[in-house]
Amino acid sequence: MAQVEQSSGDGKKKKGAQKKMAIHVDFTPMVDMNMLLITFFMLCTTMIKSQTLSIALPTNEKLEQNELQKAKESEAITLILDTEYDDNGGVKGNTVYYYTGKPVVEYNGTDVVSSNLEATEFIGNDGHTQQGIRKILHDRNRGVLIDVEKKRQEWREKKITEEQFQEAAKKIRNSDDYERPVVIIKPLPGASWESVISALDEMQINQISRYQLGNLSETDEAMVSDYKIKHPKK
Amino acid sequence: MGKVKIKRKSTLIDMTAMSDVTVLLLTFFMLTSTFLQKEPVTVITPSSVSEIKVPTSNVAQVLVSPQGKVFMSLLGDADPENAEKWGSEPLRREVLKTAAADYEAKTGKKTGITSADLDKFAKNASFGVPLDKMHEFLLLETAKQDEFLGQTVDKPVIMGNLTPKDTGIPFKDIAYTDKDGNKLTTNEFQIWMRAIYNSSNDNIREAVQKGEGIAVKSDRGTKFETIHQVLDNLQTIKMNKFSVMTALKTEAD
Repeated sequence: MAQVEQSSGDGKKKKGAQKKMAIHVDFTPMVDMNMLLITFFMLCTTMIKSQTLSIALPTNEKLEQNELQKAKESEAITLILDTEYDDNGGVKGNTVYYYTGKPVVEYNGTDVVSSNLEATEFIGNDGHTQQGIRKILHDRNRGVLIDVEKKRQEWREKKITEEQFQEAAKKIRNSDDYERPVVIIKPLPGASWESVISALDEMQINQISRYQLGNLSETDEAMVSDYKIKHPKK
Repeated sequence: MGKVKIKRKSTLIDMTAMSDVTVLLLTFFMLTSTFLQKEPVTVITPSSVSEIKVPTSNVAQVLVSPQGKVFMSLLGDADPENAEKWGSEPLRREVLKTAAADYEAKTGKKTGITSADLDKFAKNASFGVPLDKMHEFLLLETAKQDEFLGQTVDKPVIMGNLTPKDTGIPFKDIAYTDKDGNKLTTNEFQIWMRAIYNSSNDNIREAVQKGEGIAVKSDRGTKFETIHQVLDNLQTIKMNKFSVMTALKTEAD
């Protein structure tokens, strides 16, 4: 469709003068093709690369259990995860039950009368205020978080390099000078994968270095079912 | 009376500028995006704050469907220098060969996997059928293979001896006696993972040791008990360091 048009001036031209040509190339098919290609790329590709979160599980040999019992009772916090599903099997909401230290349960026969189990949820920050489980973990790991934040500030002000910051943060996270919690995450069989990841994620957010996935004990299950009876969902 | 002459305007629009814009857009899309991987089930991964990118080489991805079916995909070394011996295709070939041999030794059953099967298997990005059905599965055309793996509960697909329960890597216990006479149990998932770990590709072994070589991917709504069997088996074979695939958390989360 390229058109070579003769310039339409007055017909009188000097002899020997070169003819002026205006060249128009019609780009419409080119645009059509490009649009098709763009559509193809938009539909067949993904812009977001998935991220990964690394986890280390304890070995199946029961060594870690003893290790954990050695941990100070005041430092231990147990999270029990549960999820509610809607009719289509989609996640309706994740609940986190938690207790600190050892489970304290009062039984009446086999029925649980009272326990130190409490419930909260995974919820994002409201401005700069932590909410839900994040607040609980944040408060228990305050010392570490404050010092990591200080280092981060130094890094932002370009006083230290990123490597130095990461190094320092790692040191702070694993230092015994602070009151650090030991978190045991126990998902109920019906807990969603999302809730497990959220719990692991809270460990990252709150710079908690000691955590593990644990198996539910009978006491835990009894406490959760008792909690559900006493606090029915509206 | 002079006629009123209506000037005929040309309807040609100069498309050059438009073409420039589209070419720029096209370049942008081509450079920033990566192609979607063909997967038997589509899952929406949960989100996390972790910013570590998924490795594109030397990784065994374990995909757990909400129904508990387990599929795997395997990527070898991306370095062109190592492509000959450690690339995806030679790696997959080797892994299937090792896994099949291991399975035959432990169960005493024949898998009937031929050299042609190995070639076909090497080209598949993801897999997930029992080893004793692998030969039959690999005889199918690629489109049929995808249809079989991607079947849903409502629309079961039966192809010859392949029934809906033959999708996914089985976790059924295989009892065997080792050379010292100890009675042990394993399963096909463990056989696969060991075959990957013990392959001649040193880089994937190193990645698995560091916890980057295994990526578990599952839908956010999948129940923990479903994924637990995968985690439990990884623990049993002492691959307790691994990564899970997540999406980046948005500000609202």
